[in-house]
Amino acid sequence: MSILPQSLFSRRDLLKKSAVGFGNLALLSMLNDEAKASKGQDPLAPKEPHFTPRAKRVIFLFMKGGPSHMDTFDYKPQLQKYDGKPLPFDKPRVQFAPTGNLLKSPWKFKQYGESGIHVSELFPNVAECVDDLCIINSLHGTNAAHGGALLKLHTGSDAFVRPSMGSWVTYGLGTENQNLPGFITICPTLAHGGVKNWSSAFLPAPYQGTPLGNAAVAAEQAQIEFIKNGFLSRKVQRKQIDFLNELNRQHQQQTGPNQVLEDRIGTFELAFRMQEEVPQVQDISGETEATRKMYGLDEEKTADFGRQCLMARRFAERGVRFIQVSHSDQKVQWDQHGNLLEGHGKNAKEVDKPIAGLLKDLKQRGLLKDTLVVWGGEFGRTPTAQGKNGRDHNPEGFTMWMAGGGVKAGFQYGATDEFGYYATKDKMHIHDFHATILHLLGMNHEKLTYRYAGRDFRLTDVAGHVAHGVLA
Amino acid sequence: MAMHANFRDQFISFAKPFSTGLMVAFVLLSATCLPAAEKQPNQKQIQFFESKIRPLLIKHCYDCHGSDEQESGLRVDTFKHIVKGGKAGALLVPGKPEQSILITAVNYQSADLKMPPEEKLSKQEIADLTTWVKIGAPYPNADMSLLRASKNKGKFDIKKEREFWSFQPVKKPAVPAVKNRSWVKNPIDQFILHDLEQAKITPAKPADKRTLIRRTTFDLTGLPPTPQEIDDFLNDQSPQAFEKVVDRLLASPHYGEHWARHWLDIARYADSNGLDENVAYGTAWKYRDYVVNALNKDKPYDLFLKEQLAGDLLEPAKDVAERNERLIATGFLSLGPKVLAEVDETKMEMDIIDEQINTIGVSLMGMTLGCARCHDHKFDPISAYDYYGIAGILKSTKIMEHYKKVARWHENSLGTDAELKVQAEYDQKIKAEEAKVAALVKSENERLQKEGGKDFKLPAKPEPTYSKEAQAELKKFRAKVASLKKARPEIPTALGAAERETIDLPIHIRGSHLTLGETVPRHVPVVLNHQQQKPFSKKQSGRLEFAEWLVSRDHPLVSRVIANRVWRWHFGKGIVSTPDNFGRLGAKPTNQPLLDWMAANLMEEGWSLKKLHRMILLSNTWQMSSEWDEKAATIDPDNLLMWRADLRRLDAESIRDSILVVSDGLDAKLGGSLLNVNNREFVFNHESKDGVTYDFNRRSIYLPVIRNHLFGMFMLFDYADASVLNGDRSSTTVAPQALFMLNSHLVEGASQRLADTILSQTALSPEQKIEQLMLKAYGRLPSEREVKKSLQFLEELEQELQSEESDSQKRMNRSWQVFCQSIFGSSEFIYLR
Repeated sequence: MSILPQSLFSRRDLLKKSAVGFGNLALLSMLNDEAKASKGQDPLAPKEPHFTPRAKRVIFLFMKGGPSHMDTFDYKPQLQKYDGKPLPFDKPRVQFAPTGNLLKSPWKFKQYGESGIHVSELFPNVAECVDDLCIINSLHGTNAAHGGALLKLHTGSDAFVRPSMGSWVTYGLGTENQNLPGFITICPTLAHGGVKNWSSAFLPAPYQGTPLGNAAVAAEQAQIEFIKNGFLSRKVQRKQIDFLNELNRQHQQQTGPNQVLEDRIGTFELAFRMQEEVPQVQDISGETEATRKMYGLDEEKTADFGRQCLMARRFAERGVRFIQVSHSDQKVQWDQHGNLLEGHGKNAKEVDKPIAGLLKDLKQRGLLKDTLVVWGGEFGRTPTAQGKNGRDHNPEGFTMWMAGGGVKAGFQYGATDEFGYYATKDKMHIHDFHATILHLLGMNHEKLTYRYAGRDFRLTDVAGHVAHGVLA
Repeated sequence: MAMHANFRDQFISFAKPFSTGLMVAFVLLSATCLPAAEKQPNQKQIQFFESKIRPLLIKHCYDCHGSDEQESGLRVDTFKHIVKGGKAGALLVPGKPEQSILITAVNYQSADLKMPPEEKLSKQEIADLTTWVKIGAPYPNADMSLLRASKNKGKFDIKKEREFWSFQPVKKPAVPAVKNRSWVKNPIDQFILHDLEQAKITPAKPADKRTLIRRTTFDLTGLPPTPQEIDDFLNDQSPQAFEKVVDRLLASPHYGEHWARHWLDIARYADSNGLDENVAYGTAWKYRDYVVNALNKDKPYDLFLKEQLAGDLLEPAKDVAERNERLIATGFLSLGPKVLAEVDETKMEMDIIDEQINTIGVSLMGMTLGCARCHDHKFDPISAYDYYGIAGILKSTKIMEHYKKVARWHENSLGTDAELKVQAEYDQKIKAEEAKVAALVKSENERLQKEGGKDFKLPAKPEPTYSKEAQAELKKFRAKVASLKKARPEIPTALGAAERETIDLPIHIRGSHLTLGETVPRHVPVVLNHQQQKPFSKKQSGRLEFAEWLVSRDHPLVSRVIANRVWRWHFGKGIVSTPDNFGRLGAKPTNQPLLDWMAANLMEEGWSLKKLHRMILLSNTWQMSSEWDEKAATIDPDNLLMWRADLRRLDAESIRDSILVVSDGLDAKLGGSLLNVNNREFVFNHESKDGVTYDFNRRSIYLPVIRNHLFGMFMLFDYADASVLNGDRSSTTVAPQALFMLNSHLVEGASQRLADTILSQTALSPEQKIEQLMLKAYGRLPSEREVKKSLQFLEELEQELQSEESDSQKRMNRSWQVFCQSIFGSSEFIYLR
């Protein structure tokens, strides 16, 4: 049994509160844990960042697995040239699986936009938006296995249970719409860390990500757990809540002043509003034909991910702070140890148009300037061949891109070696990546801390440097 | 033997970057000056520094670690600053490049610290730096003794550190005098009342009997009292009435179920691994049942700990059952989340050990020992030397079968002699049948060869050419083998610990196995050990010695930590409000004499937890009402001195269990597994399909605990994370909890069942039905006003439903369902006074 914080009011305060009803609806919860600072105030209320932010919210387009950088956004002419030849330098100390000689990309690259950045034919639609992208070619991580790398990317740690990036962000900034969760993850994968990737770990529960379905559920069916009542009409449920409020008020009067009991009454009202608002956000019937087309909702291959991207925009415009979208095909994912051509071809086809649609849509609505869109996977792939026609995991150098929210547009940052194995120039470790995202949101990653088990924890642990080179 | 396989491998990998050129330099420069930290450097050495090292530092390091910028607080442009080091600790150990961060950083040995970050130095530059450290880091016109002084930095003043309250042995304090003697039921009250009187606060009056039995029944069993139990207590006018209730509850098997769950929170119990590869811990439930049984039997706490840390090493068991119990208990060490697909196997092993150390430290000692993995603990006097002293014990313990991805954990066999004998007999029979097959194949092949002559080449698959009889025989033998294999009994196993090669570990600089320092003997943390430390036996891992040290009378933490935990689990807040941290960053006790008295008493009473419960529950402190007092609240707003009972919310399990029990839907069967995934199978891997179901009517403790994907309702109501141990669950109030109460099938189903039960008693009037419902749900009768309001609500509902439901019977049924659901959703149902 847990004890409740017993915030105490003078009789006058209590009366004042009662006068405005037992609502006090802004109060989502009261915490009695280590977050003393937030005691007595809504943990999800918007908070001032450390300095003026460039981005107000994040949409993270997560590609489950490791999209191959040499086949998408990191053009390597030397790799084409030396196809079939051995890698002329050492492979890393630890590798996931043995690989052979260099393997050229089966896709052609073309220069796009004013920036003239090379993009492969896997992403023809995203390529059209290349002048809005800040492509980071020098990511590197520390873990070559899915689970570890996925956790590292989402939580900053590949060995321990730590709060996820979205939890840190909502902990730092709160959220703008109190009728919706502050951190939503759409159709996330339950594998390789699962909930750990959106869990608040030791941060207070309100910062936990709220999953909308999971990777095994079609986007159209994805729902927040318990959001829907399948047996009562809205009218009847309203009556029920009124009665419940009466029971609870009466109970509260008998127990003396107690903030939590008061808050609890508020949570039923909020729940009632949430179950109204969430389906509204998910209901895309009001979107125009043009918009639906832009996201690829009219095509079978792109409809599912397109719907996820469209929902992301709808959540973003309603003030949700951190939205993650996952492309996690149950069978294939971005993990072509073999059959690169087929697998990556299928994956890219499913996401290319929806992502481009999202970027264009955000831009035309004026949302891109303060929304940070991030695209990427757990790691890249090796320029060397695994088997005949596959590529192994490669955390030594890979690509992610950002768009909007204060990053340079039409810009490439950092580089890998001539074949794409190791990040070499302006290297950006996952910790640096996190530090940079927090910086864009107006937070100093060294100051966003939480005390737990005897020390102050950070998303970036004891590392991380802001990559100032990507800032617009 | 001293250089163990693993260490040796690491040493070799460390030594690799050395070029032959370096070896030459060694000979040139080091022969005369080792160990030379304090000797003033000679001319040749200074020249070496000026020609090789200083230019290198200027070129590669000054930009970020010079006079303008000092990243990570490090500056390398003066000797004083080099000695001081940066945030990562001392930069170098003179004469020992392999223990110097400067060298491991430039070698890129650890992924966490690679310097310079942009590009690795050339082999020659690294060799030069290494030589420089090796010969004692000579620097012109410098006070070389600073280096030696810096080496001792960070060692704690143990004597002084031991003065910290929780590091001192437990002394049983005298019970303080109080004015209001009549309020005191036992010594606990005296300690509490003493402080209240000092603060001029009067304790609240005793709780009424209904409140008391409800509070206490939930507290000990996690279930509400039945109407009959309430009646019995109300009707018992004897002075021992409450004592009888407490004893009845302590003897109930539901006590073990409920209190085991508390223990499982700090044992980070789960039925799956979680982390990266979420495979089923299909035998973990045996550990869970072990804990339930141990508590129900009131197993002394010292033995309870010894079994969990070293059950496999205890004196020979009296029978197989006892042996198995002890083997199962060691599951405690193995239950943690593990990264099973870590490509770096040594890192995986050290991460698993780290998880164990952290668990042992926090759950049993309230010490964050894990902090000392990378450096001496920043706040508590636990050094990396202490950490690797314990790590050696666990490194000598077998937890894993192998570390190849996906790694496989070890399970102990639980077979009885008879079972093993039966299994061996089967193996014998299988072997015999297989021998028959082999013999027949051999003789047939020989026959064919003989008949075919010299040039005959036996076909790759000769069997179709065997004689008909032989083929029939073979078929028969093989069928026999198959059926025997099928019938061969599986011997049950349980995850847990065993012994392996005894080993001492080197300190891992910055926590990395790629940067190893001096080897330390297995030992217990120096600051906590008040006796002369004996070296650990070389014949055993040392787990048993460690466990015995933990439960020795002198151990300053173990008895305090458990007494505080028990208090926390009863009252909802600890005397030390951070039950998982008794270190410097933990809270100070609000009443140390009381805590020490209980800790000492616990040991005197043979570590009996039930006696401790009894003492606490029979105190007046426990039996106070939650009555509000304006004056007391002004003096002590957080009720730290305990002037009244705090209002408490039920935990997730009790909420679910009471919804089930009140709706007559609970299956009270004890023990066993409800996990429908086989041992070691993926709960879900690449596909996110959840194979685990929670659709059972058993008590919550038996529901599968799947890391990474806990039962949704549990997560909503602040269940322990199952990966991060937690002895102080929080109690949040968030909107999704309301959604659960309003919309979940679990609550809907239960309220329907409850409505059906109530309505089936047709002899009762609506008023009586409402009375019965409230009695079941709240343990009390409704007021007249409540009955009136409820009837009014039911009537309004029926009207509201008219447009939706034409059948009046169904309408009434639905109304009652909605009414019952409202009761489940009400604060009174889930908050205890």
